[in-house]
Amino acid sequence: MSAHVASVGIGRFGKRSEGLVELAAEAGALALEGVGRKPIDLLVVGSMLSHGASGREPLLPRLASRLSLEAASGLRAESTSATGAMAFHTAYDALETGRYERALVVAVEKMTDASTPEVTAELASALHPEEVRHGATMPALAALVTQRYLERHELPLSAIDRPSVHARAMAARNPNAMFQTPVTDTDVAASRMVASPLRLLHCSAIADGAVGVVLERGTGPATVLGTGQGFESMRIVDRPDLTSFAATRIAAQRAYEAAGITRKELGVVEVHDAFAPFPLIHLEDLGICGPGEGAQWYDRGWVSLDGRLPVNPSGGLIGRGHPIAASSLAGIAEVAAQLRGEAGRHATASLPKIGLAHAVGGLASHNFVTILGGAAP
Amino acid sequence: MTKAAATPLVLSRCAACHSRFLPSDAPCPRCGSVETHPYPVPDLGRTVAATELSAPAPGWPVPHRLVLAEVADGVRVLAVVDGPLPSISDPLHVRLEGDTYRARPVGPAPGERGEGESPKTRRAGPSFEPPR
Repeated sequence: MSAHVASVGIGRFGKRSEGLVELAAEAGALALEGVGRKPIDLLVVGSMLSHGASGREPLLPRLASRLSLEAASGLRAESTSATGAMAFHTAYDALETGRYERALVVAVEKMTDASTPEVTAELASALHPEEVRHGATMPALAALVTQRYLERHELPLSAIDRPSVHARAMAARNPNAMFQTPVTDTDVAASRMVASPLRLLHCSAIADGAVGVVLERGTGPATVLGTGQGFESMRIVDRPDLTSFAATRIAAQRAYEAAGITRKELGVVEVHDAFAPFPLIHLEDLGICGPGEGAQWYDRGWVSLDGRLPVNPSGGLIGRGHPIAASSLAGIAEVAAQLRGEAGRHATASLPKIGLAHAVGGLASHNFVTILGGAAP
Repeated sequence: MTKAAATPLVLSRCAACHSRFLPSDAPCPRCGSVETHPYPVPDLGRTVAATELSAPAPGWPVPHRLVLAEVADGVRVLAVVDGPLPSISDPLHVRLEGDTYRARPVGPAPGERGEGESPKTRRAGPSFEPPR
């Protein structure tokens, strides 16, 4: 049974005055309007932090009520920064059973009403407690991965600046992105050190944001061709290799097999660039280039809108901002919008037929790959 | 963080698949066996990667330095650095204090580095072999 993305709805990412439910309702309503308010029989929501004025909010029933979806069934998904992708996969799997006709998937995060130390501490819950006990944070472990990667492939530190410059250039074309101004290599290299060698402009930013997607039975330009997910040890000390993420390789293999395609058929890709060096690793783990070749793709402009394979035309996490749960659904929504010819000023030079969205949970301990395209095989 | 007495460095060996790994409450990370045996190793390791954080997890001083160290049998340890940030391949003393691994550069200190400076990358030389 086939299912396709019939509509996407994205509000502006960044610092927003609205609360969690209001942000989710805005994106959900936009997606519903895209299908002419056709009936929804499944609502799947995802949020990691669920901040509210009084702490956690019962998001699912409140959103169902706000969107008048009381007749739908409801599910909630959570896998840290891959939550949005997990919600999408959950909806797709549910539609595949034949029990549902049309699902609304909403992923949302409200982060800017908490202090940076509070958010940092909450995000550390996506890491192994033994490593957090040593003072580790997400940027700290990403920094260790970065050093191993640069060392192994004998790359200069400047190799990790280019993905940030690319992300901000793309985001400047995306009206929903948090950052609307481009940056230069010099800006990146001069920004404040966060966890050496990662600087502020190498890191995605805390943001509010929500994404809604309507997934319905049938086919269209953004039909779900394949999905896959994979796990890897949460303790980085147990990983035999820090320069590649096994969870991505597993997820990609499953998704490519399900879709019956190879990476050479991809026309657009959104990868999870929570930190600037990560897209280099992701391109390699997705089989798009060989080990150590990711930096070359950025240096030579092969990832640009008219390049060999456009990567993160939305601006990615670094350009859009990173409302944790929403980011991975935003990647899927961006690929769908590109395939549907709805990407506006950040559309790829030629209309792609097949696209891939990649998502990372935690420090790449639970990753997802989603392949969308013009027709079910 | 309160100071606790240092204990010898101890690793775990899986009785089923013979993997060596850092002890934890979880089963063997390779095969899932719950039968594991502790064994002591020398407190020497080498630096795989190290970082200096300007915003560590709550409760830690700023700056906070962390090292991913490789000790005996290729087992890796995430440890808090006492002293300057080590460079890649630098030898370290690694010990467990309470529930926290701590690492200290071996030999003469290379001197404190500036704010946020990274360990230098080095070309591969003879690999450091921890004593067995």
